[in-house]
Amino acid sequence: MERRQAKIHVFVLIGLILLNSINQISSLSVTVNDEECVQEYVLYEGDTVSGNFVVVDHDIFWGSDHPGLDFTVTSPAGNIVQTLKGTSGDKFEFKAPRSGMYKFCFHNPYSTPETVSFYIHVGHIPNEHDLAKDEHLDPVNVKIAELREALESVVAEQKYLKARDTRHRHTNESTRKRVIFYTVGEYMFLAAASGLQVLYIRKLFSKSVAYNRV
Amino acid sequence: MDLHRSSIILLILSILSPVTISMRYELTSGHTKCISEEIHANALSVGKYSVVNHNEDHHPLPSSHKVTVRVSSPQGTAYHEADGVESGQFSFTAIDTGDYISCFTAVDHKPETTLTIDFDWRTGIHTKDWSTVAKKSQVETMEIEVKKLFDTVNSIHEEMFYLRDREEEMHNLNISTNSKMAWLSFVSLAVCLSVAGLQFWHLKTFFQKKKLI
Repeated sequence: MERRQAKIHVFVLIGLILLNSINQISSLSVTVNDEECVQEYVLYEGDTVSGNFVVVDHDIFWGSDHPGLDFTVTSPAGNIVQTLKGTSGDKFEFKAPRSGMYKFCFHNPYSTPETVSFYIHVGHIPNEHDLAKDEHLDPVNVKIAELREALESVVAEQKYLKARDTRHRHTNESTRKRVIFYTVGEYMFLAAASGLQVLYIRKLFSKSVAYNRV
Repeated sequence: MDLHRSSIILLILSILSPVTISMRYELTSGHTKCISEEIHANALSVGKYSVVNHNEDHHPLPSSHKVTVRVSSPQGTAYHEADGVESGQFSFTAIDTGDYISCFTAVDHKPETTLTIDFDWRTGIHTKDWSTVAKKSQVETMEIEVKKLFDTVNSIHEEMFYLRDREEEMHNLNISTNSKMAWLSFVSLAVCLSVAGLQFWHLKTFFQKKKLI
């Protein structure tokens, strides 16, 4: 499967009035066969990029937990900012060293396709430098921005919990189905084995076979 | 269906809460990419899509840069369909809760070209157009900011209810699985004993008939 690039643009809310409110939410889940990358644009240096991802796995029968995917974040300069290996779901947060297009890549080391559900948020809080530059900016705006970032972290946590809940549901439903299926299969197998036993013994004692043989 | 459609990436939005998707992704000719999003019943959903024009001098896009779009409900009914267009938009009110899928298929063309599609899909509170609500004066700017925070808090609250309901469903499911397992193991024991008993009884009558016992 060839590589696909999904570029996500920052959605910047309108104009000069709301220049401090970079509200960017991108939450998707992607089926990763080999490697899937998502690109996100960070407008300001020093922005906090936070997010989480959960592997909503396909059915695993024997393993205790999903082997996991590898997750790497690459800065526009090309160096790797953050990496998480072999996890089935985790949160991450880092301060962007510079502005530009950051790449968030999921790599699947195994052959089975997996679905990853992730959420990335780029948050910007205006600091004193911005306050000095723009006289329309109030210190209140800074507080509001901080409030908004705090709320966004709650939203991020909710999305993480929801994705995990989905996965647990999936596992539970699969467990239930398998329990019923295997148990009923066990009954039938038992009955069949017993029936075969009886048939065999009857055959041993049938008229076509001499009694001495037994 | 299209033979070239050998690889389909399903982009699933597993989040039910109101979400803004503003993204660009690439599509090679003949291939399909689908995005699905779980939408609550009675939630408004608005989407805008367009093929990105990389030409700086605004030449019209070649005819190979067209997409076929289809937005369908969890039952499969199509809410929006467009063939061979460069851009468009759709909006609908979801009738029932479930996965709504919007699929983009790049029009087949040889040699294979790669298009970039800009797709903006909003549901729930994010469909509210703050720019029409925004005023110019300073104080009302803050009012709008606080209003947005209020909306966000409300959506968090609703989301918590939803999560709680789902947790309860899962709890019930687990309890029922637990009791089912206990019940099934008793039945398994009963099946085992009855099979053994039947075997025994059948063989006994069989041998008695054969006058071996």
